[in-house]
Amino acid sequence: MIRLRDVGFRYDAGGANGTSAPVALRQLSFEVPQGGFRWLLGPSGAGKSSLLRLLALGARPTSGMLEILGSDIGHASRTALARLRRRIGVVHQDFRLLPDLPVFDNIALPLRLQHRPEDEVHDEVHAILDWVGLASRAEARPPQLSGGEQQRVAIARAVIHRPALVLADEPTNALDEYQANRLMELFRDLSGLGTTILVATHNDALIRRYPAHELELAQGRLVRNG
Amino acid sequence: MADRDRAARPGLFAQWHRARRADGLALRRALPDRLLPLLVAAMAVLAALALAGATGAQILSARWSSGAASMLTIQIPDPEAPATAKTTPPLTRADAVLAALADTPGAARVHRLDKAELATLLAPWLGQQNDFALTLPAIVELHMQAARPADADALARRLAATAPGTLVERNAEWGERLGRLADSLHSCALLAVAIVVGIAVVLIAATTRAGLAARRLPIELIHAMGATDGYIAGRFARRTALLAFIGGLAGSVLALPLLVLLSRVAAPFATSATPPPTPTADWATGWTTLAHTLPTPLVATLLALAPAAALIGWLTTQATVRAWLRTLP
Repeated sequence: MIRLRDVGFRYDAGGANGTSAPVALRQLSFEVPQGGFRWLLGPSGAGKSSLLRLLALGARPTSGMLEILGSDIGHASRTALARLRRRIGVVHQDFRLLPDLPVFDNIALPLRLQHRPEDEVHDEVHAILDWVGLASRAEARPPQLSGGEQQRVAIARAVIHRPALVLADEPTNALDEYQANRLMELFRDLSGLGTTILVATHNDALIRRYPAHELELAQGRLVRNG
Repeated sequence: MADRDRAARPGLFAQWHRARRADGLALRRALPDRLLPLLVAAMAVLAALALAGATGAQILSARWSSGAASMLTIQIPDPEAPATAKTTPPLTRADAVLAALADTPGAARVHRLDKAELATLLAPWLGQQNDFALTLPAIVELHMQAARPADADALARRLAATAPGTLVERNAEWGERLGRLADSLHSCALLAVAIVVGIAVVLIAATTRAGLAARRLPIELIHAMGATDGYIAGRFARRTALLAFIGGLAGSVLALPLLVLLSRVAAPFATSATPPPTPTADWATGWTTLAHTLPTPLVATLLALAPAAALIGWLTTQATVRAWLRTLP
């Protein structure tokens, strides 16, 4: 589960002239139970990416208390954070695939970091490649793929290790309607199995098709929770 | 069918090979296999030369301390005249002094220079002749376990009583000066080794930082996926250790001919024995000869150079990568 109490976040301060950095998040407080699904909404610059960054353990909050999967992030050791990150899957808006690794190895990364046996890695990766419809592109490099295919690789990589928390930033941007619906079905299935899911999106049609609890941000503040 | 074939499990070697290269760090690109070994090889040659200097200075210091420094030279004027002390049978001054020296505590060896040795000693001044018109004083070398100034003074007083006019010269003063010189050389050589190690550390750290900058994206990505600092630092450190080992090995091999040459040049100063034989072309004999040509501590140092380079590389990279990773959350 996720729990925030008065969480604030400011990017690294210390400009050349001593000016302080802008505040990205202010006094956020909300909870998402285990297996909960939340839409994360708000205009550009509202703080969605900053919140996802905090939840993906890409930064620590500058104030307040953030608890993820039972750990207090403000006080967790680096090793504990690393362990926790292995239980989180992230779909980045810009995919963040490694261009010099084949699709197979990109997707296998989370499993290999968990030192899973190579036989198991092979079977899991091929199963998910089948699911995302990229079985024939296992040996292709990301630059050889279309935007939609890259997004599907990023999604496969985010969920292959059955994480306890999935964070997705605009995961359907490059997908056609059929693939977007399949992705949402997958998220629902995962949620049913106990995975907590947060999806940031501007896609109103998708939100209407898959109504769920919404968290709306504006200027770094939570303006709607329901 | 094609898909099924593609999905067939690869062999064990293929799986191992794939897993080995598949965390995306691509260390062969981050830490290329030419520059670092070349730099480490150059450092290893310098370190080997400096260590050779240190070893040589240590050997000279030991020899000068235990050789010349512990020797007393005794000069007995009018050696064949009767000694002052009355004995039966009566002794010459030289024999009386020799008898007194034999009873000296701590005396390891007493040697009176014979006529030929005296002639050799005086040759630079008097030329090659054995027949001197003047009566020469007897010269006796007394090798002590350790010659302290107090011992020499006490001995001089005792011998003066036995044979007045006998002179005791303590060579230790020169030996100690030479010993101090050798110790200084030894310290300088060790300082040179420390500087070489320092430069190697800086070079390895700079190369590692360049590698980290080149692979920033995959490092950040696998860090965000849960790779620990230890995993990432370990991957880089193992690669650096391997490259440094190769460089250290190459440097040791390159330094070997220089060290053999230096050992042959330095041999007369370190030992009174004949110079070591020249290594032969026969491999088996050549290696045996080589082992005898170089001092044992230097051979051990040469053998330790590559593992030491690997260790320095491993430690430096671990520290550099871990410090760099601290900039990530």
